[in-house]
Amino acid sequence: MNRLRQIIFLGGLLLAIGCKREPSAPPSSAATNQTYSVRGVVQAIPPDHRHATIKHEAIPGYMAAMTMDFSVRDTNALASLAPGDEITFTLVVSTDDDWIENIQSTGKSATLTPAPTWHVVESELQVGDTLPDYEFTSETGRPVRFSDFRGRAVAFTFFFTSCPLPDYCPRMNKNFFETRKILLADSNAPMNWQLLSVSFDSGFDTPEVLTGYGKYYRGEDTNRWLFAVASSNTLASLAPKVDLNFWRENGSISHNLRTVVLDAGGKIFRQFDGNDWTPEQLGDAIRAAARTNAP
Amino acid sequence: MASRNRSKKSRSGGDEKLFLILVIALALVAGVGSWFAAAAFSRHDQLHGILPDKERTLGDFSLMDENGRTVTRAELDGKILVVSFLFTGCALTCPEVTKRMAEIQQLTATNADVRLVSLTVDPRSDTPPVLAKWGARFGADTNRWCFLTGSKTVLHGLIAKSFLVQDNSDPFNSMPGNFTGTERIAVVDRHGRTRIYFDGLRDETPAAVVAEIKKLRNEP
Repeated sequence: MNRLRQIIFLGGLLLAIGCKREPSAPPSSAATNQTYSVRGVVQAIPPDHRHATIKHEAIPGYMAAMTMDFSVRDTNALASLAPGDEITFTLVVSTDDDWIENIQSTGKSATLTPAPTWHVVESELQVGDTLPDYEFTSETGRPVRFSDFRGRAVAFTFFFTSCPLPDYCPRMNKNFFETRKILLADSNAPMNWQLLSVSFDSGFDTPEVLTGYGKYYRGEDTNRWLFAVASSNTLASLAPKVDLNFWRENGSISHNLRTVVLDAGGKIFRQFDGNDWTPEQLGDAIRAAARTNAP
Repeated sequence: MASRNRSKKSRSGGDEKLFLILVIALALVAGVGSWFAAAAFSRHDQLHGILPDKERTLGDFSLMDENGRTVTRAELDGKILVVSFLFTGCALTCPEVTKRMAEIQQLTATNADVRLVSLTVDPRSDTPPVLAKWGARFGADTNRWCFLTGSKTVLHGLIAKSFLVQDNSDPFNSMPGNFTGTERIAVVDRHGRTRIYFDGLRDETPAAVVAEIKKLRNEP
């Protein structure tokens, strides 16, 4: 009986292997699916082997070059790969899912992005604490620092341009738009204030991308509102100080929302957590922060 | 005649061949069946496969539920606990895991000895009202399923002691608090021991959790 089961099992095994060797398109790549041939470099493979972080070249007609996570359907597909491997693969996009297959290693790359130094654990700051100065890359491509705005109240928030949730990043930038409108329309409001929207997605949000995104939310009027992007090393130090959290999961970034108002001397004046605050409330905080410590 | 004989012979040879093909086909069908059964069985095995990395027990804590009410460990003593981890800014994993928790809630609706507990890793964002809204979105019965927030030190300390491993190498790759394996649903026995985890992203997990609860209930 055991022997018979073995034979039956082996028969099944052979059949299964036979199926896998089938050179025709696998059933997962049905006619309705879009497929793209892509080149890239493996950045990381989490232990579950369900997906890989890949820095990929532009996918004409689908996606710009960026570093992102791709999932695989066959967890063995990543078994022989390691960070730094140059690969070619097929990206399959169905109506409700996407994954990669036919992954071929083509060599070793010297351009593996070094892992940021994340090990610094710094504690959260409270209202009244001075925020250290940080440098970002602005939408113009030039560096921008908090200290560039000394003498002004600075309200900053975090976002990334590919953020899919309307009540997250878009809500933050819409609120900034409204706050700016309120303050500019108020002839009694102080003049020393600045808004700064900081992206934490340095792999994708280049100055060009930020300029386009800024234009969408801000129109042509760049007055008192700058978009910028933080490097990984800047985030490693800044994020814990304002309790900003993010998690790269399955090609997107999950994150919490932190909006901070600094007074004219660079001290934390007020922090808005989450998305349950109004442009009026932010405007009031900026008015008060601009008057405190005004030089 | 000779030709008829030949044709007769070849026909009977054909029958034999047909029989042989049928046998092979049947064997293959059975083989494929056993192959899938084996695959399904190994998947089932895998669901039972995540044991704690070390002996882990539920630490003491005093936290707040989604109504702002204080919940301590003492309140949960003697219950079988089903525990998940989340932050409401989490767009993909946490809603999926919470859906599985909601299924477990339904499957254990009549089990007075079972409580569901979801711990946030981002308490500054996840205040009681924020968690109440999250729970409502998934149909949580807050008499049986609590969403706990409070001091980050207490929450992270509890999760690190009782449930999950931290990896400080890159916060982009792990849930806030640098916790890994946050997609897991943990089962704690009546004596406060973390016994097993199930992958909260799998459809089979609610049934597996229920089976585990039955097993634990029969223990002394």
